[in-house]
Amino acid sequence: MGSTGNDSTDGLRDRTRWSRMWRTLTTTGGSEQATPPHGNTPDEQAEPVPDGRIPLWRAHNGLRVLALIYAFTWFCVLLPEYRSPVGASVIMAAMVCWTTYTIWRYSKPSGRTRTLVLVDQAVTMTLFGLCYFVLTEHQMDQGLPTVVTIWHASMVTVAAVRFGIPGGFASGAVAAAANFAMRGYIDANMWMDTVLHLAIGLLLGLASETAEHSTRRLARALRTEAATAERERLARDIHDSVLQVLARVRRRGGELGGEAAELAALAGEQETALRNLISTGPAERGETSTDLAARLRVLAGTRVNVSVPATEVTLPAETVSALFSVTREAVQNVEDHTGPETHTWVLLEDLGSEIVLSIRDNGPGIPDGRLEEAAAAGRMGVAQSIRGRVESLGGSIALDTSVGEGTEWEIRLTRADGRENDHAHSGERAREKH
Amino acid sequence: MTGSEISVMVVDDHPIWRDGVARDLTERGFRISATTGDAVSALRISRTVHPDVVLMDLNLGDTSGVEATRQITQEIPGTRVLVLSASGEHADVLEAVKAGASGYLVKSASVDELVDAVRRTAVGDAVFTAGLAGLVLGEYRRMAVTPGDSDPEPPRLTDRETDVLRQVAKGLTARQIANKLVISHRTVENHVQSTLRKLQLHNRVELARYAIEHGLDQEGEASSE
Repeated sequence: MGSTGNDSTDGLRDRTRWSRMWRTLTTTGGSEQATPPHGNTPDEQAEPVPDGRIPLWRAHNGLRVLALIYAFTWFCVLLPEYRSPVGASVIMAAMVCWTTYTIWRYSKPSGRTRTLVLVDQAVTMTLFGLCYFVLTEHQMDQGLPTVVTIWHASMVTVAAVRFGIPGGFASGAVAAAANFAMRGYIDANMWMDTVLHLAIGLLLGLASETAEHSTRRLARALRTEAATAERERLARDIHDSVLQVLARVRRRGGELGGEAAELAALAGEQETALRNLISTGPAERGETSTDLAARLRVLAGTRVNVSVPATEVTLPAETVSALFSVTREAVQNVEDHTGPETHTWVLLEDLGSEIVLSIRDNGPGIPDGRLEEAAAAGRMGVAQSIRGRVESLGGSIALDTSVGEGTEWEIRLTRADGRENDHAHSGERAREKH
Repeated sequence: MTGSEISVMVVDDHPIWRDGVARDLTERGFRISATTGDAVSALRISRTVHPDVVLMDLNLGDTSGVEATRQITQEIPGTRVLVLSASGEHADVLEAVKAGASGYLVKSASVDELVDAVRRTAVGDAVFTAGLAGLVLGEYRRMAVTPGDSDPEPPRLTDRETDVLRQVAKGLTARQIANKLVISHRTVENHVQSTLRKLQLHNRVELARYAIEHGLDQEGEASSE
C-alpha cells in the first residue's frame, strides 16, 4: 500500500545517515577508530590518535609550512653572509625534505606515531644545532635569525598536539634551552622566545587534551545511542514475532484446558517475562533522577496490572529505587499469601508537588488488629517493613483493608524539588478528600 | 450463539493473531465483515463495509493505527474503534483514544473479556482497562500542569469523574465503583464516557487549531506528529 507518512522510517534513515557521515569523517579525516555503529570497543583509550585532534594536526602542518617559507626568505637574504653558505643550503634542503616528509606522515592517522614525533624532536634540534657552525659570530651576536628561525618552534607544536600539556611543556623547555646554549647570552628577545616556546607548548597541549577528552565523550555518546537504537529494533522485532505467537498459544491453550492449559500457562509466563525484558530501558549510569513510571511497568504480569501516566514521572534515583522495591515487595506479598485468583493493581499518579502510589489487591484482606498482633508478637512482617521505608523517604502511607474487601496501600510522597509552584494542583487538591 | 449480529473488522498485521481473533469472534456469533493487516486498507474497507466495531492493533507495519483510528471515527459515524493492543504501547494507546477510539483492551485479555468489550463498544459504551484509566488520569493532569502555548482552556475532570477514574485504574468494576460511591451503575458508565469525550473533543479542537495556525487547510494528518 502507499506509504506516505512514514516519519519514523525517515528518522531512522536520518540517524543512519548521520552515523555514516560520522564514520566517513573520522576515517578520511584522521582516524582508523571509525566508531562502530554497534560499538564493541569498550576501551577507546587504546586508540593512540583520537579524532578531535585532527584540526590541531592540520594546524601544525600549516604552521610548519609557513615557518619554512619564513625561514627560506631569511635564508635568501642572509645566504651571501653565512660563514658556510654550503652548510646553510644543506640545512635548508634538509628542512624542506623533513617538512615534506612529516606533513605527509602527519596527514594520516597511521603516521602520527609516538616514535615519529620523538624523531621529529631530534631532527629539528639537530638542524638547529648545526646552525651553530653556519652562522658567523657577528650574526650570532647581532641576534640575526638562524637558518631554521621559527621553524624551530614546530617541534613544540607537534609535541604538544601528540603528548598534550607535558609533551608541549617539555619540548618548549628544550627548545628554549637550546636557544640559550646556542647564543651564549640572554637578552630581551631571548626571554620573549622562551616565553613563546613554553606558552605554545602549554596552550596547544591543553587544546589537544581537551579535544581528546571531548572526542572520547562523543564516541561514548554515539555508542550509547547506537545501542539504544539496536535495542529498540530488537524490541520491535520480538514484539512483532515471538510475542504474538506466545499470546496466541496462551489464550488458545487456556481455553482447551488440561495439558494444553499447562503449556499455555508456561507460554504466558514467558510472554510476560519477555515483555518486561524488552520494555526495560538500558541502564543509564550517572543519572540523578529517573522515571518511576518506567520502573513500575516492569512489574506488570498476568496477575498484576500497572497503571501509570504516559509521561515520565521523574524522581531522584534513590527514591525511585526505594519506591520500586517497596511496590515489588507489596506485590510479591500478595502473590505469596493469597490464592491464584487474587489480582493486584498498581496505580501511579503524579500530582506535580506530590506522588501518589496505590497498590490494591482483591484478596481476602487483613482482619482488624492482625497487623498489631503481629507487631506485638515481635514479627515485623512486610507491612511494617514497607511502612518503615516509606516513612524514611519522608512519605506517608495509609492502609485500607477489611475482610473480604482486599487490601489497599496508598503511599504519598511530597516532591523535594522546586515543583511546588505548579499551579495545577489547586484543582486537584479539592478531590483528594477521597 | 447470540443473534446480535454485530459486524466486526479485525485490523492486525499478524496473520496468526488476526485469524485467531476472527475465529474466536465468529464462534461467539459475531459477523466478521473484514480482516486486514494495514491501516490504509482498513480505512478503505471500512468506508464500504461500515462495520459496527473495528478491532484495531496499533502496531501496524506501514502507517500508524492511531491515524487510521482518527480517520475511521471521523469519517464513518456508525463505526466505533476498539483498540486491541499489546500492553507495552502506552503512549500510542493514549493517542488512539484521544483520536477517537472508544476503548482499549490488552491482547492478553480472555475471549470472554474480548466478547464483552466488543458488545459494549457496539452499543457505544467506553471500554476502560485499569491501565487506560491511569493514562487518561495522567493526561488530564499533564494538560493542567503544562497549559501549552496555545491552549487557553484545557479540559478538566470534575471531582466525581476523577474519583471514578481512580477506582477504574485500581481495578474496581463498574458495579463495585457504583456501590462504593453510592451512585448507579449507569452513572459510573456516564462518568467514564464523559472523561473520554472531553479528551477527544479537545484533541479535535487542538488539531483543527494547529491546522489553521500552520496553514494546513486540509488533511493535516500527513504531518501530525
